[in-house]
This record gives sequence, structure tokens and C-alpha cells, in this order.
Amino acid sequence: MLLLAWRNIVRNARRSLITIAAVALGLAALLFLWGFNDGVHNSMMRNLQQVIIGSIQIHQQGFFRSPKLTRDIRRPDEVRAALRDFKGPVGWRLRAFALAAGDDASEGLVLLGVDPQRERGVTRIADKVSRGRFLAAGDATTCVLGLTTARNLGVEVGDDIVLLSEDRFGSLAADRFRLVGIIDSGEMGIDRGLAIVPLDYMQDWLSMQGRYSEAVLQTDRDGLEDITRRLRARLEPQGYEVLRWYDMYPVMKQWVDLENGFYYIFLGIVLLIVAAGIMNTVLMSMLERVREFGVMMALGCGRWRLAGIVVTESLMLGLIGTVLGTAAGLGLVAFFHQTGIDLSSQMDTIQRFYIDTVVRTEIDTDHLFNSVLAVLLAASVASLVPVWRVLRLQPVEAIHHV
Amino acid sequence: MNQDHMLICARGLVRRFHSGQEEVAALNGVDLDLPKGAFSVLAGRSGSGKTTLLNILGTLDMPDAGTLSISGRDVLTFSAAERADFRLYRMGFIFQAYNLIRVLSARENVAYVLQLRGVPKAERLRRADAWLAEVGLAGLETRRPDQLSGGQQQRVAVARALASEPDIVLADEPTANLDSHSGESLMHLMRELNGKRGVTFLIASHDPVAMDAARELVMMEDGRIVERIGQ
Ligand SMILES: Nc1ncnc2c1ncn2[C@@H]1O[C@H](COP(=O)(O)OP(=O)(O)OP(=O)(O)O)[C@@H](O)[C@H]1O
Ligand SMILES: [Mg+2]
Repeated sequence: MLLLAWRNIVRNARRSLITIAAVALGLAALLFLWGFNDGVHNSMMRNLQQVIIGSIQIHQQGFFRSPKLTRDIRRPDEVRAALRDFKGPVGWRLRAFALAAGDDASEGLVLLGVDPQRERGVTRIADKVSRGRFLAAGDATTCVLGLTTARNLGVEVGDDIVLLSEDRFGSLAADRFRLVGIIDSGEMGIDRGLAIVPLDYMQDWLSMQGRYSEAVLQTDRDGLEDITRRLRARLEPQGYEVLRWYDMYPVMKQWVDLENGFYYIFLGIVLLIVAAGIMNTVLMSMLERVREFGVMMALGCGRWRLAGIVVTESLMLGLIGTVLGTAAGLGLVAFFHQTGIDLSSQMDTIQRFYIDTVVRTEIDTDHLFNSVLAVLLAASVASLVPVWRVLRLQPVEAIHHV
Repeated sequence: MNQDHMLICARGLVRRFHSGQEEVAALNGVDLDLPKGAFSVLAGRSGSGKTTLLNILGTLDMPDAGTLSISGRDVLTFSAAERADFRLYRMGFIFQAYNLIRVLSARENVAYVLQLRGVPKAERLRRADAWLAEVGLAGLETRRPDQLSGGQQQRVAVARALASEPDIVLADEPTANLDSHSGESLMHLMRELNGKRGVTFLIASHDPVAMDAARELVMMEDGRIVERIGQ
């Protein structure tokens, strides 16, 4: 049966090759598009996590919804103990609100206290400083602002600004900070309304010695769910909240899921083309052989065996096309992962939405497997029509078919 | 004649076809007893019902009325799958042309029926080669049908029909597409196999070459057997 199917594929080499090529091209194009799509999405999601918010944040229960200085992590040692097995980088921060007064104007800010050294190991916010420098060890009354805020306040690197806040006991705290760096990240949430100051100084200033609002963890995607589950099991009963990046900022993940949904529609269209191509080939080759099938039936070959030959032909075409298409598609993805696709001329020079201007293609395994399986499935479905025709063949009519 | 000796025993076979409003009775009450070892040619004008009868005897088609037993089996009660099996083990077929599976070599074509019967590969190839030699095609085993002449293709079909050692070989116009010389030698071959091995043949043909080679002529007219001429 395999031999017979194979010989029939080879006999119509041209037609078979066109079909195989169509399957392979469709699949390769699909995999490449997935590669582009996943490349953009994954780098976007990674950037979002790496620039400042991290993959996971741990707070006192309720802090994320209503952040208050006094809702700090009650017992940092408990959290540290829970993180003992966690191998990735962990940052400890303090968060408060402040009013910034420049020469011309004032603006409400989120005040983020970070350990200048440690933060570099956890996020890439230091790399986003485009003018001046990031905070350094030993800094005290220094701060880093986003570009928009700096403009609104009318300050430049080297200028002083006054930050007004409340300490742990609710007393007004005011201090003068030297602006050492300006962040130009292209992200509104960072460029506007954020001031970063040294953690030690902020703790002293706001009477929060040894206290933190958040622990920030970086992890890759594979570990995210597992780590979250384990940390939740341990920390939630103790009154902490463990939030993944998309628990905090769901919009990007929803957007990615939506776009993936569109890609699945596209996958459906490719499948239709694949199925139609294979069906056309197999049906044509079956109709050419009606007479031969009639003779085979006369010889005692049952209908189901004939149907088996037809299915085998479809599957062979589908399988060969799938193997070639997967190889070509993965080849493209690997190639453009290395070289990258430079879209800087197509995009604003400013990064928006955490999108890199150079897209490095990559493909999620579930997208790869779903696409490949779907194409194989389409090949099997494509054989249904020819099979149905074969099962209805009457030997006499088939033999006298011209 | 004692019916127990009969390979084929048909009574009152009727087969009607509908084409548009008209009804054509292709078989109009055929009675036929055919003994083992016969070498009979079913002759008659075009449209007399030869092919229709052969199809029914070959369990490829069903009559509208009548009874039919082959090798003592009431084949009309069989399901489609049972008929396929019956053909596989009991019958050989030779058609007018394009008998062979195009993508298989002569040897593979002959071996195919054995493969359907589950004969192991080495054994079926050996038997295929032996049958090809028997029909005079030694040396051409690996040729594809399109590399063989019409006469050679029909010989492969004969080898294939015989390879499964059937009770009967049914042939419909086997010489129609051959020149008279090839036709004669094909008939001669089948007659020889009949004599030597006792294989029963029923051949539908209005080709004089075929009729000349027959041991018996079964004459058909308007869907009936009108005369049997022993030779
Ligand atoms: N499928 C069919 N549909 C309608 N009529 C048919 C069909 N098959 C056969 N007939 C009719 O039945 C009659 C007998 O046909 P059959 O093919 O058996 O004749 P035949 O003796 O084999 O003729 P030939 O020598 O031309 O092969 C003819 O009148 C033919 O038109
Ligand atoms: Mg006929």
C-alpha cells in the first residue's frame, strides 16, 4: 500500500511536487509569520518586565491596588526565606508619592527608591538614562527623572528639585535633590510621573529604615508560572501578594493574545489552501485511476483497502510538505533570529510600547506544534472527499469508466 | 447433466437497465451451467448482453432476478465485502485493456493478488516470476505496463488471473485491442493452460479469432442464451 501510494505520487511527479511545494510554502510562511509575531511579542513582554516592573512583584497584601507607604512588607525576612530557592535576581524597593517642584511648575510623581548597584542586576532602567547618569553607590540626595517630567518642571541635569512627601508617621517631608540623569524610554509611564532616588536615603528620609514596599523578581517565561505558584502557596497565607507582570499590567498580554487569535485565523486560511491543494491532487489522481480501481476491485481488493491507498497518498503529500515546510520555516526563523529584521526606518526613532526596532524572530513551541499538527490534520481531512468517492465506486461502472 | 459437477449454475438471470424513460433488459432470463474445465466463448452481437452476464457471473454486478451458484456457493446472498473476498480466492479476471496497475512492474502486478491474499513477499515474487515464464514473458518481469506491447500486457493479465489459482477465469473481449496475430497467440496460450492445468475459462468475445479457439461456443441474443455449440 505504501509502495503503491508512493509510486503514484512519483508517477505524477510534477503535480505532486506542486502540491508538496504549496504545503511547504504555506507552512514555511506561516512559521515565519509566527516567528515575526512571537519575536515582536516576546521581546515586547520581556522588555516590559526587564525595564522596570520585573516578572513578579511581591508586596504586602493589597499594596498593588492601593499603594501606601505604610502598607510595606511586614517581615522582609519571611519573604527572603521564601526566595531562598529562587536563583534569579531580586530587587528591593520602596515606593511613595511625591510632589516635585521645579522652577516653573510642579508635578505629582511616583517616588521609587532603588539600590543603585542592585537595581542594575534586576532591571535595565539604568540603560535607559539618555542624559546624565543613573544613580550610583554612595549617592544620597540625587534623583533621576523621566524626560517628560523634566521638561514639565523645566529642569536639566545638574539642576536641583524639591520633592515633597509624607513620612511613615504622616509628617510632611521635604528635601532638595540634585537631578543627575534623565530617562528617555519612549514609555509614557516611565518618562512621565516617575522619580527614582537612592533607597537608603529614601528610607531614612521617610522613616522607613529597613522597610520595603516591593520585592521585584526577574525570571524567564518558562519558570514564571511555576515560581509564582510556589511563592503564592507559601506567601499568601502570610499576608503577602505575589503578582505576575500581567496580573499588574494585563493590557499587553491581552493584546498579545488578541493578535495571536488573529494569527490562528490566518492559520485557518492557510489550512484551507493546503487542504484544497491536497484534495485537488488526490482527487485528480483518483479520478484518473477509476478504471484501475475498478480492476483492483475485480481482483478482490476491498473498498477500504482502496480508500487506504488514497489516504496514504494524501498523508504522504502532507507529510513531505510538512517536513520541508517546517525545515524551511524554522530555517527562516533561525536566520532572522541571528540577523534580525531592522524596522527602524519603518518605525518612529523613539521606541514605543516596548517594541524593539530590530525584530529577532523566535517561535513559541505551542505555535510551532499547533501549526504543524494542523497542516497534517488538513492533509487527512483533504483525503475525505476522495475517500468518500472511492467508497462509493461500483466495480462495473469503474471498470467501464473512460 | 449432474449439477454437482457444475462450476457455475445460473437460473433465470434478469438484469435491467434504465436509461431515461426506457428500460433495457440486458439479460432476459439466462440459464447457464458451466462444468469445471470448460473453455467456452460467449459470443453474440454487440449489445446481446455478454458483458452484463460476465459481470454478474463475476459477482461484480447483481441481477434483478434469478439464482446463481458458483462452486456450490449462493453468491447472490453475499455482502460486497464477501464478494470481494470470493473474487480474490476463486476468480480471475481479464478485461479488454488497461488491466494492469500502471505504477507496478509486470512482476508486481502478478504478485499483487497474492499480496492481497497475504502470501509472503519472497514466495509471491517467486510465484509471479514462474507465472510470467509460463505465459512467455521471462525476462520482462521488471517492465512497467507502458513498456510492454498490448499482447504482452494481456499475457501479464493472464498470468495474474492464474497466479491466484482461481476456480474460473472470466475474460471480457481479451483480444479486442490486439492485432489478429497477438490475439491468436493469446487464445492459444489460454487454451493451452486450460488443457494442461484444467483451468476453467469463460470468454466473452465476438472476435472470430477467439471463437476459433473455443472448445464450446455459447451464443447469446437479446439477453438470452440461444444456442451452445460444442466443438
Ligand atoms: N450501465 C448500463 N446502462 C444502461 N444500459 C446498459 C448498461 N450496460 C449495458 N447496457 C445495455 O445492456 C445491453 C447489453 O449490453 P452488454 O454490454 O452486456 O452487451 P455486449 O454483448 O457486451 O456488447 P458488446 O459486444 O458491444 O460488448 C445493451 O443494450 C446495453 O446498451
Ligand atoms: Mg461487452
